[in-house]
Amino acid sequence: MKPHAAASTSSNRNTTVKFRIPTSDNLVPIRLDIEIDGQRFRDAFTWNPSDPDSEVVIFAKRTVKDLKLPPAFITQIAQSIQSQLTEFRSLEGQDMYTGEKIVPIKLDLRVNHTLIKDQFLWDLNNFESSPEVFARTFCTDLGVEDPEVGPAIAFAIREQLYEIAIQSVASARETRINKKGRRGAAEQFPARKRREWDVYEPIVDLLSSEEVDALEAREERNART
Amino acid sequence: METPSQDPSLKLPLPADEPQLDLYTIPRHSSWFSWDDIHDTEKSHLREFFDGSSFTRSPKIYRDYRDFIISKFREDPSRRLTFTEVRKSLVGDISVLHKVFAFLERWGLINFGAPAGEGLGKEGNWRVRVEDGAPNGVRVVAAPNSLKPVTVPPSGSDSGRAMEGNGFDLPPLASYRDVYTERKGTICGNCKQRCESGHYECTKEGSFIICVKCFKNGNYGENKSVDDFKFIDCIPNSGNHEAVWTEAETLLLLESVLKHGDNWDLVAENVKTKTKADCISKLIQLPFGDLMLGSTHRRGKLWDNDGNTSIVQQGQLPSSEAHPQENIKTEDQCHDVENERNQNGDAETQVPSLKRKRTISPSDTGNALMKQVALISSMVDPHVAASAAEAAVTALCDECQCPREIFDGDANEGEELGSSPQHNKKERSLQVDGSEVEERPTKLESQGTSSEKNAIPLTFRMRAATATALGAAAARAKLLADQEDREIECLAATIIETQLKKLQCKIKHIDDLELIMEKEYTQLEELKESIVAEQMHVLQRVFSTGISRWRDHTSVKPQVDSVL
Repeated sequence: MKPHAAASTSSNRNTTVKFRIPTSDNLVPIRLDIEIDGQRFRDAFTWNPSDPDSEVVIFAKRTVKDLKLPPAFITQIAQSIQSQLTEFRSLEGQDMYTGEKIVPIKLDLRVNHTLIKDQFLWDLNNFESSPEVFARTFCTDLGVEDPEVGPAIAFAIREQLYEIAIQSVASARETRINKKGRRGAAEQFPARKRREWDVYEPIVDLLSSEEVDALEAREERNART
Repeated sequence: METPSQDPSLKLPLPADEPQLDLYTIPRHSSWFSWDDIHDTEKSHLREFFDGSSFTRSPKIYRDYRDFIISKFREDPSRRLTFTEVRKSLVGDISVLHKVFAFLERWGLINFGAPAGEGLGKEGNWRVRVEDGAPNGVRVVAAPNSLKPVTVPPSGSDSGRAMEGNGFDLPPLASYRDVYTERKGTICGNCKQRCESGHYECTKEGSFIICVKCFKNGNYGENKSVDDFKFIDCIPNSGNHEAVWTEAETLLLLESVLKHGDNWDLVAENVKTKTKADCISKLIQLPFGDLMLGSTHRRGKLWDNDGNTSIVQQGQLPSSEAHPQENIKTEDQCHDVENERNQNGDAETQVPSLKRKRTISPSDTGNALMKQVALISSMVDPHVAASAAEAAVTALCDECQCPREIFDGDANEGEELGSSPQHNKKERSLQVDGSEVEERPTKLESQGTSSEKNAIPLTFRMRAATATALGAAAARAKLLADQEDREIECLAATIIETQLKKLQCKIKHIDDLELIMEKEYTQLEELKESIVAEQMHVLQRVFSTGISRWRDHTSVKPQVDSVL
């Protein structure tokens, strides 16, 4: 049962908890994008912040060995992971405002040949939520065969939750948000208007190799500029 | 919303005059469900709606979610409703929605009896599949009619294409590769058999091939004559890479695995004629291959059980070492180190004095060891090698009388005669293992005296040494093999015992079940009897009060009246 199952609703609006990712597992999304000598290594995964720091170096070494990257990557990878972890930890001590916050989460990602577009609502207050469970249901229901899609979806959700959580830390320090802001979703419960169904419906596309190449080229160009 | 559904598991009869109802099946344990109310089960499982913790969750909202989802499912109860279909139509935290959905599914209120289709091509609009390039199983070539495989199968002629038809003669377990690898001309176009030794290719139509037999028999196929064919010898090993691993290659492979461990690219480079995959598969096939794969990090802890190849190599090496011309100078060193070596239980053709220089740990046996032996003996100076050879020969002499006689008899010494009864006595009285330690020092001393008088021709000694080495190794191998056999028998017996025990347990279990069933059966019988008795009792009373249901009413009525 949730810890803040108090009798009156008004007390919930004021509760604050220590900063953490608002999911059942407190896992930090880590993104790596390292370029050395023309070789680019990009990766995204979740890390458990309670793992000892020695694990970071071990992981970096293992990754470099498995992917046969030049050893210069080891330090870079380890540093990048460490800095993101430190950032997370610096926020950990602070308070997070957990009022009524139902936020829209958008997915717009390409994993190998699969393109995913989706939108849905997520309750930041729900500390039992799990992006991984959602991702698994998503892939099973839509028959996604590529096994890399699930983790990518879970990661994308986590990243967005992380960013929103960071914002809510900042907001806890400032004055309380006004009441209007708290009602995140402006829609009426529970049934959605039919014309909006398309917006909230997930779209999964399988691309051909040429389209993938074209998209990648475009992304690179955007990243450069 | 549709009219209330009836749960067929409830035994209420349907009155004939009720309106048409749709029948939906839900499991018995969900019979608490009703549209008009929220049951305690729901309240306890989905507490977040009922504790007022959020204005986004309330009983009313819960009911709306629930009713929507169930109705959505009942629009078509034969298909499996997925969460993704409903969540687009409902506003709310997606995790909570999922929880409601999972709750309903678990209790069978939705998706009960729906097929568990795993999302394979359910609806066309969910998936857009763009095929780029040729689909699977089709290979595109540069030009038409080229001899490279155009489509599968490779032969382009009509008779060749008959292979794809229903009556081709491939064995039932033919794999994809068997059928579809580039077999230019190895299937005869006529009789559809494989062309073993060579084939005749038709010059007119380049891809028509017949085998030697058909050519001899005159079956040339339609419209062809003798002149149209020219003979082509078969290309050996045309498609098959994994054929033969020669000894040299295997040796190379083992060396490179020891050196490079996990790095298969380097191993494949070393063994130049084989690919990475071949190396790995060959290594696994070798009896100790698994151990090598696992232990490449622990260099040197290598247990070679492949006695045969090691024996062959062992045989060659002692002959190269046996050039005994000097005295034994390092006697002491020899026998000290030999003590240690014997404690490790190795084969006797070791090079004890050089043990400290070995890079592989002393527990090695076999191939790698002998290579090391050769290496080291070439590194050190001849004195040491000679004494080592002497020691080796001595060790051989322990096991077999024959070489000793050769060596000792050739020496022709009086001292030899004196000491040989000593040797023989000691040899016979002591065991093979363990006690050689004491034997050795005495042997060496006596051997030392006799070695000075060695006038035996070199080749003879070499031959003797080789023979002894082979004999010794063979004997040891046999012992090991016997031991292995016994172990295998023992293990097999254990397995059989275990299986029997398993069966016995199962039988006992089944017996117990039978017993229970019999008891239940008797209980049921009793119940039946009692019911029958009751029935009879009731009927009796009915009769006694005079009301009969089976007789004609007219005849009964006067009776009724009279009783009343």
